[in-house]
Amino acid sequence: MDTLLQRQHEIEQFLFHEARLLDEQRWDEWLDLFEPEGMYWAPLVRGQDDALNHASLLWEDATLREVRVRRLGQRTAWSQQPASHTAHLVGNVILEHDGDPLVVRSTFHVTEWNRRGQRLLAGAYTHRLRRAAVGFKIMLKRVDLINCAAVHDNLEVFI
Amino acid sequence: MNQMAPGGEYGVERLGALVEPDRVHRSVYADPAIFELEMERVFGRAWIYVGHESEIPKKGDFKLSLVGRQQVIMVRAPDMRAHVLFNRCAHKGARLHTEPLGNTGNSLRCPYHGWSFRCDGSLLAVPEPQAYAGTAFDKDDPNFSIRRLPRQQSYRGFMFASLAEDGPDLDTFLGGVKLSLDNFCDRSPLGEVEVAGGVQRVMQRSNWKMFFENLHDTNHPMVTHQSSFLAAREQHAAKADGEPMPFKLHLIDGNGEPYEFWDRLGLVGYEYGHGYMTAIFNAPQDVAWKKYAASLEAAHGAEKARKILQTNLHNTIVYPSCSPHTGFQQLRVIRPVSVDRTMVEIYTFRLKGAPDEMLQRAITYANVVNSPASVVMPDDVEVYARCQEGLAEDGGDWVSQHRYVGEEKKTGEGWLARGLSEFPMRNQFRVWRRYMTGEI
Repeated sequence: MDTLLQRQHEIEQFLFHEARLLDEQRWDEWLDLFEPEGMYWAPLVRGQDDALNHASLLWEDATLREVRVRRLGQRTAWSQQPASHTAHLVGNVILEHDGDPLVVRSTFHVTEWNRRGQRLLAGAYTHRLRRAAVGFKIMLKRVDLINCAAVHDNLEVFI
Repeated sequence: MNQMAPGGEYGVERLGALVEPDRVHRSVYADPAIFELEMERVFGRAWIYVGHESEIPKKGDFKLSLVGRQQVIMVRAPDMRAHVLFNRCAHKGARLHTEPLGNTGNSLRCPYHGWSFRCDGSLLAVPEPQAYAGTAFDKDDPNFSIRRLPRQQSYRGFMFASLAEDGPDLDTFLGGVKLSLDNFCDRSPLGEVEVAGGVQRVMQRSNWKMFFENLHDTNHPMVTHQSSFLAAREQHAAKADGEPMPFKLHLIDGNGEPYEFWDRLGLVGYEYGHGYMTAIFNAPQDVAWKKYAASLEAAHGAEKARKILQTNLHNTIVYPSCSPHTGFQQLRVIRPVSVDRTMVEIYTFRLKGAPDEMLQRAITYANVVNSPASVVMPDDVEVYARCQEGLAEDGGDWVSQHRYVGEEKKTGEGWLARGLSEFPMRNQFRVWRRYMTGEI
């Protein structure tokens, strides 16, 4: 029991830490949470199982994640003046598969504010995690927005 | 907001005066009264793209769409004909369907009082029909059927409809821009395309005309998109190790080309405001591309295949409802919502008979360039919104379109201008003025 509680605690702390890095715009530290071949994915439709033959909101490998971060750092990122601020709330953390990788499901609320106003994004995260020397590395972060198929304002920062 | 130009109602003369040969009055973007008139005179007159027939392949399949602000339903009848109808019951007006796509079976049945209609809109049955005996109700009177849009026609699978009974036919309306739709289809070894891979939707906080003008605005990429093309270049410089730039970065990097590059492109415009830009970005000639080119040659012969692939048109404009991009198999659909809100839908298409990699490339293009989460698009959407905000305020009444004015050349059906010309904006407003003053 101690081990299970400890593992649940470790995983939750990892997700809370990730959320904090995003809220504090510590992008480089967030990028480092991923395995080099890790993917960041926000599907366009509910239950989407294919990112290659179907459009997504986001389907980013390390290169595209880093480009997004580099863009946020440009003086001429016109749509980020002022920059988006977010508050990530992560809960309902369940270890779905205890193996390698670990599969963790959680629920999130992300409140985002920028020049265009404040909005609430909500949905479920699925993290595929691999144990690392310290903590975990992300193989896949899947973001299923409840309104993925809706008409969206720009999604510029990581959800 | 009140009408911006003094003088009460917008008469024909006053509307005409808003568009000059080299500038337009800011009220065309910012005045809600103008927007109301556009719904009637532009979107109520023009042929508007409704959807692609491949979205409703089977009997009973339907897709919801918009013509101006009218919600319509495109539905496949049992005889396989596609019909475009107003999406409301002929009895009390209830929406018949609310899912964006679905199947209605053999009939459209209202969820309120159970009136049912054939897929061509005609009334099929009402419950307890004896209750209408001796009344003015007549099952065969079209007033008791779902109204059809007055005109509807498909061009190689692209379904258009018009709220107007009269006006130019679809063939005349499209004119020279048929080249783009033909090239789109001809790029398939089977000569047909189909919607595949879902639809992304973006809300822009700006007038619909901003988006259309920007499609051929060659003076903006190097300024507006600086944040993304510099990011792509920095990324490549830091990580490439001598490798060529990957496709996904190339798409972002291209906006950083210098003015001379853009000036060399040709801007073609046609009578009804349509047009296209001659090629900018060529698809990489990789293994997948060679496989695709071979499949096209096998289908059409080497000579025709070469000609098809050489017809490389960037951002075609079918004014005022959509923008195909043939080379990367995209179609963006533009829906005016209000004077300062525009919805853009991004569709990707499969070239029937082409290798899967061609759709996958189109998906990459959509995700990287057109998606609401693109790193390129937010700066476009931002500058349109800044224009919209600024033009609704005081500080000058006219928007300049003077670049290379009058230097465009007449070429058969249309005009050709140099890359940095503002001819496309002038051409769009020339036809806008014709719609608004009742000439079309």
